[in-house]
Amino acid sequence: MPLSTQSQDSDAQYILVASLDNVRNISNILKAITFKDHAIFSATPNGLKVTVEDSKCLQANAFIQADIFQEFTIKGDSVGFQVNLTVLLDCLTIFGGSTVPGVSTALRMCYMGYGYPLTLFLEEGGVVTVCKINTQEPEEPIDFDFCSSNVTNKVILQSESLKEAFSELDMTSEVLQITMSPNQPYFRLSTFGNSGNAHYDYPKDSDMMELFQCTQTQTNRYKMSLLKPSTKALALSCKVSVRTDSRGFLSLQYLVRNDDGQICFVEYFCCPDEEVRDD
Amino acid sequence: MDCVVTGGNVKVLAKAIHSLSRIGDELYLEPQEDGLTLRSVNSSRSAYACFLFSPLFFSRYAIPDGHGFRCKVAIKSVQAVFRSLATLEKTVEKCHIELDGEKSRLTFTLHCKHGLLKTHNLSFQDSESLQAVFDKDASTNVLKAQPRLLADTVLNFPPSLEEVTVTVSDERVWFRNYVDQDAEPSKAMLTELCLSADEFDHFAVKAQSSVTFCLKELRGLLVFAESTGLPISMYFDGPGSPVVLSVTDSVLDTNFVLATLSDESAVRQQNPKRAGTPLPPLDDFMNDELESYLIAMDTSMAPGPSFRSLLFGSVYPTGSPLSNLTVAGQKVLASDSEEDPEGV
Amino acid sequence: MKFRSKIIDIGCLNNFTRVVTTISKLTKTCVLRLTPDNLYFVLSGKVSNGGVAMWCELAQANFFEEFQLEGVSVEANEICLELAPDNLSRAMKTAQNAKAVKIKLTKKHCPCLTIAAELPTMSSVSRVVTHDIPVDVIPRRLWNDFKEPSMPDFDVSIYMPPLKIMKNVVDRMKNLSNFLVIEANMNGEMNLKIETDLVSVTTHFKDLGNPPWGGDGSQTGAASQRDLETMVQVRVDIRKLQQFLMGQQFNPSKAMCNIVQNTILHLILLYEDVSLQYFIPAVA
Repeated sequence: MPLSTQSQDSDAQYILVASLDNVRNISNILKAITFKDHAIFSATPNGLKVTVEDSKCLQANAFIQADIFQEFTIKGDSVGFQVNLTVLLDCLTIFGGSTVPGVSTALRMCYMGYGYPLTLFLEEGGVVTVCKINTQEPEEPIDFDFCSSNVTNKVILQSESLKEAFSELDMTSEVLQITMSPNQPYFRLSTFGNSGNAHYDYPKDSDMMELFQCTQTQTNRYKMSLLKPSTKALALSCKVSVRTDSRGFLSLQYLVRNDDGQICFVEYFCCPDEEVRDD
Repeated sequence: MDCVVTGGNVKVLAKAIHSLSRIGDELYLEPQEDGLTLRSVNSSRSAYACFLFSPLFFSRYAIPDGHGFRCKVAIKSVQAVFRSLATLEKTVEKCHIELDGEKSRLTFTLHCKHGLLKTHNLSFQDSESLQAVFDKDASTNVLKAQPRLLADTVLNFPPSLEEVTVTVSDERVWFRNYVDQDAEPSKAMLTELCLSADEFDHFAVKAQSSVTFCLKELRGLLVFAESTGLPISMYFDGPGSPVVLSVTDSVLDTNFVLATLSDESAVRQQNPKRAGTPLPPLDDFMNDELESYLIAMDTSMAPGPSFRSLLFGSVYPTGSPLSNLTVAGQKVLASDSEEDPEGV
Repeated sequence: MKFRSKIIDIGCLNNFTRVVTTISKLTKTCVLRLTPDNLYFVLSGKVSNGGVAMWCELAQANFFEEFQLEGVSVEANEICLELAPDNLSRAMKTAQNAKAVKIKLTKKHCPCLTIAAELPTMSSVSRVVTHDIPVDVIPRRLWNDFKEPSMPDFDVSIYMPPLKIMKNVVDRMKNLSNFLVIEANMNGEMNLKIETDLVSVTTHFKDLGNPPWGGDGSQTGAASQRDLETMVQVRVDIRKLQQFLMGQQFNPSKAMCNIVQNTILHLILLYEDVSLQYFIPAVA
């Protein structure tokens, strides 16, 4: 294997080395947060966190734990850099991202530190691709200050049932309104489009509803344009947790199972759009 | 109106709406004693389609007593209700349609698997009735075929093709792509498909003739006919008078009325099979009257240069001497509309 | 001038359709040259098509049951037609299950290549579909433009990697850059490279093998005089290479690539006895 024969000596100069037998285990989860080019990478001994933001109102994080990688070596407590995510994804899928069982692309990802490129060695069927992606100094991600102690309402749904709703959303509606309540309609998604409104109601006893913890009736609106990218995460996930805090901030947590059955998380935070008038 | 559709019929309804969306931008709904009609007409008034679902199609069908109520809605918004056509059959158990005249609201409620409830409240406008007057049983020529035959036929033409010419003789039918006169003849590929009468379920040609009409609407109806497995009947006379495409069974009656090119000289002449095609007798006087009346009534619609507008009828009031035109040789669409010329 | 031909065998029909479809993906118009033994689809490398040239050669005997040709004269027994290969491809696709397909030169409203297919039906009578494809008959004085291009005196000749893999790589590289450098040596190694402000990517193929061109004299040219390891490179418009890789439906038994340093990329696909050559000029 050309990747394993890379001189181990040269590894000494890297402050981060991560390798993976199947690149899809990282490329898929990164696709789930690709809605802007700039991505902030922060690595700790626990693993990798990749953050993408939009207009200070939306943040998406992908978490890839260290044990997803076959090798994950980091010097020091943390390593951070920023790269163009679209470029990174084109590189990761250079061999086409085959889904054929038994055919996978192996990856070795190395970083030497500030000012150096992120270097990828990819190998499939004896063919090797080397990519050097320019990096920048990482920006500080926004702290949405969303803590579980302030959560008012929470539901966990099987993603299947939300996929249908999101694929049918009326995109002429500027907002998606989410109602969560201990009483009817329990969990409701509403749109207000050009030709009328639509409500999707999930009863709390639905077999799609894995957890229903709503303490008070809360109705919040979120910009459709901001929430639309989360559909990518939804499509990959098997479960989704929907939470709102007392300020109406929305947290969507997606549980994603990779090709090898391991679990990763993708999280979206979104600010509420406006105060809801009663109507 | 308050009605409920269940099981496989939800998909039939959804397919019908998708077919209608190939015709026009608006869906005209009219609950009547004999069932619910859904209609649409294209912007140049050269194509009209109507689905009548009989009360038996529904598991509940209730309409208010008294005068008829009707409305129109943007067809896109109704299509959105049935967006996931592929999974509809598996996910939707029941569809409830409610028309509330007072709130001006048309509500579709889909009861789905796992208790999911989808409610779509659509706003609508009152409308005149959209009514085509045609008498397909008086047609000179009638062909009936399985949807597969017509779908296979259409496949021979590129998806970009707009109009097709159908020529019939005693025992054969020819389908040809219609090439616009403006198009450079040395650039266009000409395709011709010949089918024998044997391939049709029913083949009654009284007079050789040739008609040219838009393929888009036929494709739309084919989607519906293929999904329901029902045969399509085609009724027509000759150039200029509309062709009627019908799909019927015990609980539904579907008619697509399409204008045909009136100027047969526009049709390619090089083909000898076309020579000697008898043109149906035209009443010149009546035709002239109609054209001038149409122009007087409505300047907003500009029918294509060669297709005659079908909907003369929808713009003239009842009681007009012209409203009863089916007796004339030329079949047209007419309306029982009261007083709403600008609504169409 | 007369031409009439007939295909009956379903395998021949499929292969011919595949060739025609490949051609249609590579060019909007081309010249079809008919000779008593062969058919050629030709695109000459003019500026109007970005300097790309194509030469595709088929032996008629491998496809046609009947093949009757009377050229413009006894000593020039050929017919040269300009046509849109997309029309031909569409026509052939509607004839995929045909019992027989006739292809002939006809005089309709203009000169046409007429494709008539007899389609099977449930009834006793066949369904017949005909397509009249307008063609321009090319006068003899212009024939010289459509002669087989001579094999360039390449600096390196190498077998290509599996085209599907190459296509995947080139597709991604195209997202990242407009130009691609392709380089190869006589040691069976080929690299595809792009470089931009954001990223540099190099894909390395090895053990590809180099075709033995011993017989035809090219081997005595530049290629043999080089060191085996020395890379020869050419920079091309990535879209032109992508178009070639996307369009080809040959599943070639052999795919080869010749490079003249900084001048031209010459690609050759062989499938049984059909050959397709494609020439992409270098960009600075």
